[in-house]
Amino acid sequence: MIIQTSRFGEIEVDDTRVIRFPKGLLGFPRYREYVLIESGDEATFWWLQSVDMPELAFVVTDPSLFVPTYQVPLRRDQLADLGINEPEDAQVFVIVNKQDNLLTGNLQGPLIIHVAKRMGEQMVLSDRRFTTRVPLVELPTPVEAMSA
Amino acid sequence: MLVLSRQRDETIMIGDEIEITVVDIRGDKVRLGINAPRNVQVHRKEVYEAIKKENTASANVQIADLTRLETHVKRRAAGSGG
Repeated sequence: MIIQTSRFGEIEVDDTRVIRFPKGLLGFPRYREYVLIESGDEATFWWLQSVDMPELAFVVTDPSLFVPTYQVPLRRDQLADLGINEPEDAQVFVIVNKQDNLLTGNLQGPLIIHVAKRMGEQMVLSDRRFTTRVPLVELPTPVEAMSA
Repeated sequence: MLVLSRQRDETIMIGDEIEITVVDIRGDKVRLGINAPRNVQVHRKEVYEAIKKENTASANVQIADLTRLETHVKRRAAGSGG
């Protein structure tokens, strides 16, 4: 299928790569289908691009790369709702935001994706240890941009 | 908005399946017990709103931001400083 995107232009993705979020993401309930786009070789970050809305895309990452102690405390019944029987079937991503040079991850609202079934849901964690803006990595000041 | 008065240990039913019980009242703090089917998610509203707000802000990250980020992370992983 061909997807129109504001960031990448027109892209072609296989239909089987579409991930469905039956409830949408919080604040975006109307947009329920996304594709994961690798941002480069051996990507640490991906774009979660809406299939239906060209401008709508989020940077996502695997939080365990930055916060090794992070675990999503999900109950078995919550996993079962996504068709996940074994925790290994689930892949956890968090949405990344940028505040000046600081990249933050929304560890309070992780995305749980059932890899094989291509189904996902944004969870709301009540655990107060996690916030919506956990620092992940600080970017250096862009020297290249100044000399360009 | 429907406004109901309840005492401690009294319950409100919402539809057939959702029960909200006043468990404890101390000063201006009320503790509520909620029984709901598992497909009904129950959250503190401020947490829900915070995540919604953060999603909206995160949707504005642009491609140049990520390109810079990738370069930085790769340099760091390569141990060349940066």
